[in-house]
Amino acid sequence: MTDGKAVGDAAAVEETPDGSPAIRVEGLTKLYRRMAPGAKLATLKSALTRGNLVRDLSPEEAITALDGIDFQVGRGEAFGLVGGNGSGKSTLLKVVAGILKPTSGQVVVDGRLAALIELGAGFHPEISGRENVYINGAVLGLTRRQVDERMDSIVAFSGLADFLDEPVKNYSSGMYVRLGFAVAVHTDPDVLLVDEVLAVGDQAFAHKCLRRIEEMLADGATLLFVSHDLGLVEGLCDRVMWLDRGSQKLVGEPRRVVDAYRQAVAEEEGREHREEKEAREEEAAAGGRNERRWGSEEARITGLRLVAGGGTDHDGEERYHLASGEAVTFEATVATDRPLTDFVFGFQISTPRGTEVWGINTGIEGMDPGRLDGEATVRLTCPELRLAAGEYLLDVAVHSEEGAPYDYWSHALAFTVTADVTGVGVYDPAHRWDFEGGVSWEDHRGPGSREADGGEEGP
Amino acid sequence: MLSPAREILRFRSLLGTLTGRELKARYRGSLLGFLWSLANPLLLLAVYALVFGFIFRARFEGVEPYPVFLVAGLFPWLWASTALLEGSMAFTANSGLLRKAVFPVELLPTVPVLANLVHFVLALPILAAALVAGRYMGHPLSGWSALLLPAVILLQLPMLTGLALGLSALNAHFKDVRDLVSNLLTLAFFMTPILYPLSTLEPHPALWWAVRLNPFTPFTLAYQQTLFHGVVPDPELWLQMALVSAVSWALGAGLFARLRETLVEAA
Repeated sequence: MTDGKAVGDAAAVEETPDGSPAIRVEGLTKLYRRMAPGAKLATLKSALTRGNLVRDLSPEEAITALDGIDFQVGRGEAFGLVGGNGSGKSTLLKVVAGILKPTSGQVVVDGRLAALIELGAGFHPEISGRENVYINGAVLGLTRRQVDERMDSIVAFSGLADFLDEPVKNYSSGMYVRLGFAVAVHTDPDVLLVDEVLAVGDQAFAHKCLRRIEEMLADGATLLFVSHDLGLVEGLCDRVMWLDRGSQKLVGEPRRVVDAYRQAVAEEEGREHREEKEAREEEAAAGGRNERRWGSEEARITGLRLVAGGGTDHDGEERYHLASGEAVTFEATVATDRPLTDFVFGFQISTPRGTEVWGINTGIEGMDPGRLDGEATVRLTCPELRLAAGEYLLDVAVHSEEGAPYDYWSHALAFTVTADVTGVGVYDPAHRWDFEGGVSWEDHRGPGSREADGGEEGP
Repeated sequence: MLSPAREILRFRSLLGTLTGRELKARYRGSLLGFLWSLANPLLLLAVYALVFGFIFRARFEGVEPYPVFLVAGLFPWLWASTALLEGSMAFTANSGLLRKAVFPVELLPTVPVLANLVHFVLALPILAAALVAGRYMGHPLSGWSALLLPAVILLQLPMLTGLALGLSALNAHFKDVRDLVSNLLTLAFFMTPILYPLSTLEPHPALWWAVRLNPFTPFTLAYQQTLFHGVVPDPELWLQMALVSAVSWALGAGLFARLRETLVEAA
């Protein structure tokens, strides 16, 4: 039903299918007005006089959801959108779908469009699944006869034959999605917009949907895909755009964009870990103790840092996000009021769920304590910390050789590890696959092949 | 102003489907189901007939039997008032559809207008029965003039659709509209000669004009003339109806067109 959105030269466009984009977005900006109670009458006035709610608003009255977005999606191309919550992905999809109007800029979609933004949005809870298929189909632009012809196939795809005559209100959210997706993929769209809907169904159905999307792509359909499943975006899309707070940060080859986004997320997490750590240190400096920290205080941990990226010479930077395999130094400063001759320093890494990953202390290493007096700095360096991608917690302790704690600080800091490939577990050893004989791969991207990836596009 | 009409006509089969959904959903899960389309106006009619006919013992000239006169004005009024009340809420009630689906939004306020028209039409057998009973009791009631009913309905359709479009778009921005509409409709009900014939007001010229100029009045008069009095409305009345309908459509559809762009965000 959105055929009408195509530009006037649509006919000319069809003659050159390779050159003309299926989706063209130029200088797209979308503002939302803030719902200030006093501004309502003013906005109504501007809506009535100009047909636009936000054009007259001053910057503090508006929220910029999308800011100067430019991109094109070619026919048959799968284009992914990644970014955090509130980055504008869904708004962009809705503008492309024609649900929301751009504040400025241009959006042109050539061809019949199906938007899987919220599946089953047109479902009426009180009436049966079958009747809803007709209505949903009509909303998506099918005639009753077309729905009749496709009904068997829709029902088969949804796997809901036994529930089709039940009112939709009795459906589970997964069943809702199944029916909605089944109808949508049977509308033969030229352009398919998918917003994170696959996450609702079970694995089997998600796979079925993905297969169907890939079939549609193979048949020349165009896909605009939003998901937080970065692996899926990387696997499915030909190009990816990273949106950050409404601006397009990077567009190009999926791997590069997704990696850059992952890196930014890790940096953000690292910053948060650092802020949390600093807050804890301040609390500790103010004499605060909690259930995560105990001991006699004969020796006290006065500071703790993670230094990453350097070699053995501690020239790295303090940060709390690491790439797997990087050099890392755990650095603690310790202070005593009176000299101690019985002391052990220890560090332990664990996962947030409590799995102990690795722990080591000077006692286990066989270091025989001499004297600890005043202030001291302890550094534990791992030249290659090969942890699997994920979140980790660090415990740090100074205690007696018998194990009596002077200062035991559990979960003293948290850090994030990123890795090229996320395997299972906590360990990410350097590795390589080799094959001989009757085995071949269509897409072989083992570790180490990354550097060979070329073909990047500029933003 | 014409673009909403174009969209509505273009997606008329979807409009039919949605109206069907509305009708099916309304009585789903109720025991009497569609019988409520008959029972609701009938019960309301019984209340008014009881209050005015027996308690107040109102004696209006030329409207015997009074319950039949009531039906002729009340049933079309129920269509109009319910259509406008539900129509004004169309976008707020369907905000899910509005925000999540690519959709000709013009249809949403149109659906309650049509759905309530179906209820009105379904209640017509009651009216027919009342007319037959009245004639049997010797009252000179309507006959062939009742065949003009579809023409009156068709004339009122643009009025109600236009107003529903405008009110629903306004209500998406200001939820106050719904309360305003429901109160104005109550006022309009008593300012329309449904419970009483217009002639009753002749001793009070100011009141008479106030009622006569009420935009719903020409339609009520036409319904009463065709259905009760058995009179073909004169050309002047037809003209008035056409004028009211055209102006209402222009106002409502114009307002809607102005607010259309911002509907989704506001609803």
